[in-house]
Amino acid sequence: MARVITITSGKGGVGKTTTTANLGTALAMRGARVAVMDADIGLRNLDVVMGLENRIVYDLVDVVEGRARLRQALIKDKRLPELCLLPAAQTRDKDAVSPEQMVYLTNQLRTEFDFILIDSPAGIEGGFRNAIVGADEVIIVTTPEVSAVRDADRIVGLVEAAEKGTPSLIVNRIKPRLVNRGEMLSVEDVIELLAINLLGIVPDDEAIVTSTNRGEAAVYDQHSLAGRAFLNIARRLNGEEVPFLPLQDQPGVLERFFGIFGRRRT
Amino acid sequence: MGFLGNLFGGGRRDRSASVAKQRLMMVLVDDRYKLTPDMLEQMKIEMAEVLSRYLPHVDSDQIEVTLLRGEANDHLKAEIPLKRGRDE
Repeated sequence: MARVITITSGKGGVGKTTTTANLGTALAMRGARVAVMDADIGLRNLDVVMGLENRIVYDLVDVVEGRARLRQALIKDKRLPELCLLPAAQTRDKDAVSPEQMVYLTNQLRTEFDFILIDSPAGIEGGFRNAIVGADEVIIVTTPEVSAVRDADRIVGLVEAAEKGTPSLIVNRIKPRLVNRGEMLSVEDVIELLAINLLGIVPDDEAIVTSTNRGEAAVYDQHSLAGRAFLNIARRLNGEEVPFLPLQDQPGVLERFFGIFGRRRT
Repeated sequence: MGFLGNLFGGGRRDRSASVAKQRLMMVLVDDRYKLTPDMLEQMKIEMAEVLSRYLPHVDSDQIEVTLLRGEANDHLKAEIPLKRGRDE
């Protein structure tokens, strides 16, 4: 039974596309047949994050408008044969697709894949609504910042109003040192404010920058903390109980000097 | 907070994370229920008025109203300290 999961956030730039690419890759690494769909029509990005931008021939709008069959538009991942990307159109706008067409498209994908991950555009307008209309579950990505949390709360309400159940939460770009100093909202604070179930905690990690530069998912990088966090989230999506990673401080100069004071866990 | 935190500026002013949390709580109440800080203040004053009919020494400035988000429902929690005055 296929699962359609939409990754959304309200605010832009919090890591939806990175999350979609990494979860899709992680699920496929574990043997699932996965399609990742870029629903951000007009601002396509999932292709470059996954390093597949040179392989695009047809896109989502071509399929919807009948210029291409779904199978022609799906791009196979470079490494994982069970992972496919359905790219967004770059030259059209979000009104190019109707909610009914999105439902039809996701239902077509259901017959061929175990997981369909939809990368939602930012905002609360048509593009967002199209991204959730065919979903069984919704994941909200937020960062521990007031603007992102506020927007996430708005999205929780809209997802519930659309009768998609209560979304689950990924808190991205946590900086344990700042949290320990009381200068960044903790994961507990964010959960208390939003009151939805926590699916994962992803630490701030420079490896995301380098992996995105190369168009390779961070889950391939054994040393990337964020990559490991995404692998764990993929396991949780598969129903496994996986404890949250302890967030180790990167000790600062002074704290390193004092040694024992420098290491704390959250 | 830890040793260094205490040494350098601990307690000097509120940590920004707790400021952020407090501000967010207010903003989310407003977003979800269209309850502005002004309306919240007015609500406290009126609550104090009603309560004063039954209890002496209720001060609207002392009332703390917070919104708690639950699984199914949100809760508005009011903390109303009562001055321990035996009839003066």
